[in-house]
Amino acid sequence: MADNVANEQLEKRAETAEPDPIADSSMSRALLITSILLILTLVWSLYDEIFGQRPWKAYQSEFVASYLEHLETLKKAAAKPEERNEKAIRETAEYKKLDAAYREATEKVAPRVKEIGARVSEIDREIGDITDPFQEARAWIASKIYQLETTASESGKESVRSSIEDKRNESITVAFTQKDGSIKKEGVPYKQLEKRYNDLRDEKARLNVELAGLTKESGEMLRKREDYLQNQMSGLTEQAVDNIIKGTNAFEYRIRQINVAGGQVVDRCESCHLGVREPLTLTADKMGDEKAFVSHPSRDLLTIHDPEKFGCSTCHGGNGRGTTSVEKGHGRYKHWLWPLYYKENVQAGCNQCHNADRVTRMADTLNRGKDLYYQKGCVGCHRYEGFDREADALASARQTIKQLELDRATRLREMRETREAAEKVTSNEEARSLLNRADVVLPQLVSQIDGRIGELDLQTKYLMKDQKKIGPNLKEIKAKLRKEWLPVWLRDPQAFRPGTKMPSFRLDDNEIRAISAFLWQSAIDYVRIADQQQGNVERGRDLFKQTGCVACHSIDGNAINQGSQPVGGHFAANLSRVGEKANFNYIVRWIHNPRQRLAPYSPSLRRDLTPDDYKSKNLAFLFDDDHSKSPLDGRELQVQNMTVMPNFRLSEQDARDIASFLMSLKKGEPRYPDASYLDDASLKQEGERLVKAYGCASCHEIRGLEDEGRIGTELTVEGSKPIERLDFALLTEDAMRGKDPITGGERSAWYNHKGFFEYKLRNPGIYDRGKVKSPEERLKMPNIYLEEDEITALTTFLLGSVTTSIPESLRYKPAGAAKQAQDGWWVVRKYNCMGCHNVLIGEDPTLAGVAMYQDADGKEQLPPRLTTEGARVNPDWLLKFLRDPSLAGPQAAEKLAQQIARHDAGAAQPSAVAGLTSQPGANRNGVRQYLRARMPTFDFSPNELQMLVNFFMGASVQPQPYIPERLEPLTGDEQTLARALFTSAAAPCLKCHMTGDPAHDARATAPNFLLAPERLKPAWTRRWLIDPAFISPGTAMPSGLFNRDEMHGRWVFSGPTPPSFQTYDKDHVELLVRYMFQLTADEQRRLGTGGAAPSAPAPGSTTTTSSLDRAIRRPTSRVNGP
Amino acid sequence: MLKKYGSMIVAAALVAFMIASCKPKKKDDGPVDTGKSPYQSKNDEGTISGVIKFDGTPPDRKRIDMGADANCASAGGEKLTEEVLVTDGKLANVFVYLTGGPVDQFSFQPPSDPVVLDQKGCRYDPHVLGVMIKQTLRILNSDQTAHNVHPTPKNNPEWNESQPPGTAPKEKTFNRAETLIPVKCNQHPWMKANVGVLAHPCFSVSAQDGTYTIKNVPPGNYTLVTWHETMGEQKTQITVGASEKKTQDFTYKSSVAYAPTSLRVEAALILP
Ligand SMILES: [Cu+2]
Repeated sequence: MADNVANEQLEKRAETAEPDPIADSSMSRALLITSILLILTLVWSLYDEIFGQRPWKAYQSEFVASYLEHLETLKKAAAKPEERNEKAIRETAEYKKLDAAYREATEKVAPRVKEIGARVSEIDREIGDITDPFQEARAWIASKIYQLETTASESGKESVRSSIEDKRNESITVAFTQKDGSIKKEGVPYKQLEKRYNDLRDEKARLNVELAGLTKESGEMLRKREDYLQNQMSGLTEQAVDNIIKGTNAFEYRIRQINVAGGQVVDRCESCHLGVREPLTLTADKMGDEKAFVSHPSRDLLTIHDPEKFGCSTCHGGNGRGTTSVEKGHGRYKHWLWPLYYKENVQAGCNQCHNADRVTRMADTLNRGKDLYYQKGCVGCHRYEGFDREADALASARQTIKQLELDRATRLREMRETREAAEKVTSNEEARSLLNRADVVLPQLVSQIDGRIGELDLQTKYLMKDQKKIGPNLKEIKAKLRKEWLPVWLRDPQAFRPGTKMPSFRLDDNEIRAISAFLWQSAIDYVRIADQQQGNVERGRDLFKQTGCVACHSIDGNAINQGSQPVGGHFAANLSRVGEKANFNYIVRWIHNPRQRLAPYSPSLRRDLTPDDYKSKNLAFLFDDDHSKSPLDGRELQVQNMTVMPNFRLSEQDARDIASFLMSLKKGEPRYPDASYLDDASLKQEGERLVKAYGCASCHEIRGLEDEGRIGTELTVEGSKPIERLDFALLTEDAMRGKDPITGGERSAWYNHKGFFEYKLRNPGIYDRGKVKSPEERLKMPNIYLEEDEITALTTFLLGSVTTSIPESLRYKPAGAAKQAQDGWWVVRKYNCMGCHNVLIGEDPTLAGVAMYQDADGKEQLPPRLTTEGARVNPDWLLKFLRDPSLAGPQAAEKLAQQIARHDAGAAQPSAVAGLTSQPGANRNGVRQYLRARMPTFDFSPNELQMLVNFFMGASVQPQPYIPERLEPLTGDEQTLARALFTSAAAPCLKCHMTGDPAHDARATAPNFLLAPERLKPAWTRRWLIDPAFISPGTAMPSGLFNRDEMHGRWVFSGPTPPSFQTYDKDHVELLVRYMFQLTADEQRRLGTGGAAPSAPAPGSTTTTSSLDRAIRRPTSRVNGP
Repeated sequence: MLKKYGSMIVAAALVAFMIASCKPKKKDDGPVDTGKSPYQSKNDEGTISGVIKFDGTPPDRKRIDMGADANCASAGGEKLTEEVLVTDGKLANVFVYLTGGPVDQFSFQPPSDPVVLDQKGCRYDPHVLGVMIKQTLRILNSDQTAHNVHPTPKNNPEWNESQPPGTAPKEKTFNRAETLIPVKCNQHPWMKANVGVLAHPCFSVSAQDGTYTIKNVPPGNYTLVTWHETMGEQKTQITVGASEKKTQDFTYKSSVAYAPTSLRVEAALILP
């Protein structure tokens, strides 16, 4: 005890003296805090491990809950327990009951139906026998009755009356076909024949009515049965739902990961987006309003881009590996270069691989962006790989020619030197070897070079033809425009013509004066346009409406009685105010043939040629496709206007009428301020500087600036430019903070490519804001006045313009047919084929949107659909047609050329006055002459012709070359059979198809059969006859002309066939196709026009109706006398 | 000559006088439209009737040249255009129907009797007709020539089928309401008909004397619509009380006569 006390005292002392740091202070609090912290950290790290870093787990449980709930609802909907496949339904009592009722109803009337069928075909046979002789006699009588009416004298009338009476009592020979097929001739008095004819027709009508009554019940029963079947089959079965529920209950909570391209892409997107590939279509409202769980919106897209092969982030962007947060996964943070595309720009992803496609199926926004890039003239200033293939190829061809010419000179020198060397060498052997080189090898090498130069020179000719400018040729403005209008236009193009391609260049008055003066003074003034007579405005209006102008051009609807909104396409200019700006004579010539220039341009001499240049070589000032070489140096000239506007092969009068109509379009008589300064030479230099600075020559041909380069940035990979290199300038802060620089309001941060592009497109000068700059330093991009949806389309295109990170193995590299289609689209879009034609499935042509093409008659006037053109036509024919859609043939062209030559020889001084040149195939469609819209001549180069033919063949996956299938010649019997079917009242082919008779063709709605052998492919023709609506929905050609005879594996005509067909056991479609492909002009003439005899009065008609009938007969038909 | 036969032509005009019945037909396979409850009649339906007048000078009916098809030319019947058919200031072929009110709130069974569209003398008979959704439209060909029947609807499937002479009638239905569907024959461009498809039976077509009657109208507030092929639609509000007999006339004016689009295939009239 004492020890203890002593110890305590000691301790106390020690305590008071020097506290022991270990023993004296309690660490428990610190320990407690740290351990709590430790535990918290543990809990936090565990939580983070299990949930924080794995937000997808919460998504997964939410998905399972929502999905199960949705499935339960479905299960309730799937009411009945039995399996819902067709076979099972057919086994159900209800179906059997309905089926029995149908059979009973059919059998009950079957004997009578059969009887009627037999009787009707007998009647048809007899009517067939009687019709011709009877109608002939009746027509004769009708003509006599007319004579009776018109004869004045009573005695004359009497004699006519008696001749009618005689005819009525006369016996007429009729060849009756017997049941066994033999023919029995019989004389029947007219009166009796008439009665017989009418009786037969009455009986037939009665029988048809009876037949309809008889089959009514069975038809209804059949419909009930089929309705039941359809109703039972729709929807999921309960069992199917159960299976999905079972699967969902066994859901495994884990990362869903796709590894593609050998591990280059790892996508875990489906860890949260669990519904993407579910077999059921899931929408947000079905899945508890969670957008992450919806199905992929396009199953078609997933079929061609199977996620197992392509992953997700390849197309959509985003960080496929990121699983820790939505932002990380979507790649929307600073350090990720490929953020997820926003929904409206999602098709940007397509462009990573499809950048060489002009048109990508299922990517309409992207396609629109590409259309706009061309149509709004972006391509004028901003190079973009592929958009300017002609200019690129032309530059390269010219470069190669220069190189080859150098090579040639080198070879010639070598030849000379080698020959000289051969003279000097000592040994004969060596001399022979050198001479061999100089005289045998080198000349052939030179010849090869010559061949290549020649070919390349031809290529330059084609390429110059193919190369187009977005805007009009400003070399011709003196002939085309009102002088005073030019500065008005430059000040505000949008005000004069809303929606125009011409952008606004924030110009001040001095700039406008200088630019106008420069342009005016550099225009061609040494060629005058021939004066034209005024045309008929009303006729011009109709022609404008009908010829197809509105496929590309828009116009004020009031001008063509089509409502008050602008009508037509946006591919070319709105023509509503042409009358305020243009010169009539120029417009006539332009409409007549827009490709005709005032003067040719020589790229080698870098100037426009003049009549004097031609005169110096004793040549007429004649330049066109056939006269495209320079008289001065023999090099190819630019002989066409660089416009895509085609030649409509209008007659001169039509061109004058349309031009007169266009010139009548004005908002009022314009009053422009004086513009005499346009001739002020002192303004020219400043004007030229400005024109160069603003890059006007990118879109327009301007004298002296033909070789100006582009002034804008190349945009081929603009989307992958590092963000630091996009100059947000003083708006950087706004972009990062999320302030809208236009409205000044709050918005989400927009410091990204999308934001940059969108504001730049909305207001191209916006990034100059707040900066003090001299005019020369300011941003030059003009205002384009885009709509928001156009901005989205262009932004999408630009966002997708990237150096792609997609693994090589996944990229789209089409070959064969797909490649041909890909290349061809560039030509199709370039010339706006889809203004008139349905080329891409699902894309209606512009014309289809115009009101006048929307009623039933208008639809028939739409140019043909071309979605299966390659399967339809022979490629050789197609090439010929595209070259000359009038199919007027070389003779017509030749004849015309001679006329022109004679005319030119006769004309005293035609050279400096530009008039109209007649053209072959004027006012004529080669195939569908009944269409009021005209297929114009595009004057394609051979390159483009081939690309187009390849396009159509490629798009329909048709092999080339095409060797026509040999069709078995018709036997004599078959010829007779086919002719009978072809002209039978039941198959009136010639009623709608053109026959060459102008009166008939004016109202025909289908092409002439004589074109078929050269134009069509027999396989397509067969499919067309069987079901035309599959090939061309909405066509005038009816479906259901043939029924399938399964028993004999053939198609048979579905109407009543001529009696001779009873013994024919082959395919009727095949027979008709062979007949069509062997049809000659003679045979067609023999068939007659309307497919039947000329019209005759109705049976038993009084004189009243017979003269009425005569009154409405077309003048070409005549009454046949006996 | 034209004048001489004018009266005959008018007299010969065939215009179906159609009176539709509103009462739901008793049928046991349930309503067509599951979204609405079937209409239950309280036997208190009213009637709307009236006359469609035409104010002014009607456009001349033109003669149609049927010479291209001998079978048409020789068939009987008038051969005049029938877009605007006026007799003594009364307009025929106006489709009259109700929208809104009880006819849109309830579902109605289509009658089991078909509506018949005949092709006779290369004309459609009648020129304007109405059917109910899923009611059978039976199309006959009483001519000796082939026709093709080609409706060009906007909300229903389009089809175009040949109907040679002597073949069975076609039985078709339309499954969506549409006013009205143009029907044409491509072989005889003048042949045109218009079919109104409605979800209820309250419609009618004005007869030659311009009269129309819609019977068995469930009491309620409606919009009464008249539709004419070339002169378009007119609308008026109308209230039908229990068992009430309402009269409502309409007038079309010649000044609004229709300017054809230039792509219309004009029925032609070629006279020497
Ligand atoms: Cu017809």
